Amino acid sequence: MPEYDKETIEKLIDGKLSWPEVKRMMSSFKDPDRFDKYVQILQDRVDWEDKILLPLGLHLYIVQKADGSRVVKCDCGFEFGDYRDNWKLQALIYVRDTEEKMQEIYPPMMHADPEWVVLREYYCPRCKTQLEVEATPRGYPIIFDFQPDLEAFYREWLGREI
Amino acid sequence: MQSGREPRIIAIDAGGTMTDTFIIDRNGEFVVGKAQTTPEDESLGFMNSSKDALSYWGMDVKEAFPAIVTGIYSGTTIINRLLQRKGRKVGVIVSKGMEDYFRLERGEQTYLGYSYSDRLHVCTHQHNPPLVPRNLVKGVPERIDCFGDVAIPLQKEEAKKAILELLDEGVEAVCVNLLFSYRNPTHELQIKEMAQELIRERGLDVEVYTSSEYYPMRCDFPRANTLVIEAAYAEPSRVHMRNIDARVKEEGGKFDLRIMASHGGTISLEAKDLARTLISGPIGGVIGARWLMDKLDIENAFCTDIGGTSFDLAIITSKEYDIKPYPDIARTLLAIPLVETDSVGAGTGSFIRINPTSGRIEIGPDSAGYLIGTSWPEGGVDTPTINDCDVALGLINPDYFLGGEIKLDKERAIAEIERQIAKPLGIGVYEAASGVVELFEETLKNEVFARILGKGYAPLNYTLLSYGGGGPLHVGGISEKMGFEDVLVPTWAAGFSAFGCACSDFEYRFDASLDLPILPGLPDDAKEGLVAMINAKCASLRERLITEFSKSGVDESKISFTVYLRMQYLGQLRDLEVNTGKEWISGAKDLNEAIDAFEELYSKVYARAARSPELGHLITHVIMAGKTDVEKPNIPLEPLSGEDPPSEAAKGTRKVYRKGQWLEASLYEMGLLKAGNTIKGLSIIESPSTTFVVPPGASAYLNEHLIFHLKTQ
Repeated sequence: MPEYDKETIEKLIDGKLSWPEVKRMMSSFKDPDRFDKYVQILQDRVDWEDKILLPLGLHLYIVQKADGSRVVKCDCGFEFGDYRDNWKLQALIYVRDTEEKMQEIYPPMMHADPEWVVLREYYCPRCKTQLEVEATPRGYPIIFDFQPDLEAFYREWLGREI
Repeated sequence: MQSGREPRIIAIDAGGTMTDTFIIDRNGEFVVGKAQTTPEDESLGFMNSSKDALSYWGMDVKEAFPAIVTGIYSGTTIINRLLQRKGRKVGVIVSKGMEDYFRLERGEQTYLGYSYSDRLHVCTHQHNPPLVPRNLVKGVPERIDCFGDVAIPLQKEEAKKAILELLDEGVEAVCVNLLFSYRNPTHELQIKEMAQELIRERGLDVEVYTSSEYYPMRCDFPRANTLVIEAAYAEPSRVHMRNIDARVKEEGGKFDLRIMASHGGTISLEAKDLARTLISGPIGGVIGARWLMDKLDIENAFCTDIGGTSFDLAIITSKEYDIKPYPDIARTLLAIPLVETDSVGAGTGSFIRINPTSGRIEIGPDSAGYLIGTSWPEGGVDTPTINDCDVALGLINPDYFLGGEIKLDKERAIAEIERQIAKPLGIGVYEAASGVVELFEETLKNEVFARILGKGYAPLNYTLLSYGGGGPLHVGGISEKMGFEDVLVPTWAAGFSAFGCACSDFEYRFDASLDLPILPGLPDDAKEGLVAMINAKCASLRERLITEFSKSGVDESKISFTVYLRMQYLGQLRDLEVNTGKEWISGAKDLNEAIDAFEELYSKVYARAARSPELGHLITHVIMAGKTDVEKPNIPLEPLSGEDPPSEAAKGTRKVYRKGQWLEASLYEMGLLKAGNTIKGLSIIESPSTTFVVPPGASAYLNEHLIFHLKTQ
């Protein structure tokens, strides 16, 4: 069974491994302790103490607070509230719905027709980091990406209680 | 020192790490030498390896080289250059709109050479560094259609602009690769002419390559790849090969070094298209097998080569091997003919692991290769391999691996198998090891079976030929209950691939796409017109053959020509290669014979009932091969002695674990057995380079040519 040291996993997170190294990791069986090592590295990098239960994106985590509640939290410490609610409802939203706004990031003719599809960008209200982008038809409700069953994940995949 | 030997043939296989030299004398006896490969100047490794080989005969190079009449080289220079993208700066001109060839890679090149599971997992797919950077690929408006007619005339001003831009970039060669140029090369040749003129005007030294002159084949992307490899990597490698040839001459050699090419023949190092020597490693064994079939009068053979990393298979039917017109190597599609071999990622160095999801044993696809396994602690391998299981079970003698050069640690192998395989499975260590070996042999057996049955043949009509370092060790398990006509194991199995190179012809082969439809029911007088078109192609290919041979001083009268046609039913996708056995297609009668031969071949490869002559036929490619006689090895011939092996060959006994029980195996030294001896199983015949296991109930007869016939139950 493969096993990687902390440094390798850190390089993996930061995208600093060479392609052959990444390829080898992808083609091998999964290292059994990857999740714990990975989460530990993320935990070491944030300034707050709440325990990370599951990473939710590049800058978002579901954390367990001292009072037992589980909330979505940003790198910077901003809390979006209970993980069973859509965190996007608490985020700053920027909608690209015109040709001009699309062409700030795409060459002409290379983007979707804003009459049909819009881009919605979600930002952290405190640190202003871009957290997520979604492409939807106009007027489509905000997408709730992912509500994990934390208990089942810990019990059935990690073999322990949360 | 005078040894009385007369070396005649030398074959050198410069691999990634080691250069093997095979020297054969007049009697068919041979020695194998090894030395480290020296990539900067391969002539050093070549000389060291030759010296090593000759030292076994107490000869030196100056004494031996003048007697040698045939020298064959198979190296890695071009492929190393390709892998490292170290070559000349090449500019490419393509039909406008096709400029992104080398970045798109037809998708396929992002996963070529991957294991099955990696191919399924798209996240592992990755683009290669482009063969030619995008800024050196220029599109020119023009179009030849699939019938060879000009659909859009060449825009000469645009072409001139493209050439000048490339020259401004300082390219050292220009490649021209247009759509359908194999049907009509006019545009390519016009661009070539313009480019040469502009180059002359500027006083530059830049060569121009056109695909229609080098590789007039359909499939424009593999053709573009091959042309670029020719210009960027093969041409600069010629200097290396000339160096080696010069060293040979310095040492008194009077022979011209020839190079192993992918189609199974050898060509001169002055050959115009050198890229066809890019792949030669895995085919040596097939050529050797083909030679052996001639000597022993075998009609059909199945070749199996078990090496450290892979299991290579090839099928030879009616003494003809298959040719793949568009093979790939180093994740690059090519348009050169390659002797068809299949490779399965299972060799004696393959890693064994327990799949954590299914809890089952998995073999490979990666391997320890020359690092053997955990039984060789110096190799630094931590995962057990098939070798380790063979050592643990008592099949391999840990003190006699490579003649004792490498000492294996049996205890460590057992401990690692116990820890990583047996314990997780909850079974005993020997049970686990023998289970792994059984699974390994079963896997290979299935591969063999699938390929023979898949082609519509039966093992009963085939002779199984086993070679490679691990072949003789597992051939018993593989051939058991398969019902092969015969099972042959040459005593020189470990060096069979290098030996095979020495057996190859001096042969050029040129392929050209034709795409000529023959409609059903076409009357013979109409066929005469088609024959003229075929012969026009043949004539130009024949010209190329004569030119190439003349570089080596071979006169046209000494060349025997053969026309091959690749044919398919109109509207179907797979073509088959038909050997017409003729020098020319001299009329409708010859063409009808070729069609009949195709029908016959089709019914063998697929099914008689699947033949569909009512669809008509399509001649996809015309191939012209030319060969000339060269010295080839003699088969060893020993006087036959009695059935019982001489007492000095017996080396005692050893305990071997097999299918749940410990058995007593008799041990023999391979080199001391005499022709005519029969060894009964369970026996293990050891030599410095390989181990041959004769399973219980089986027997191995060593014939007068020093080849074992293995008879299993």
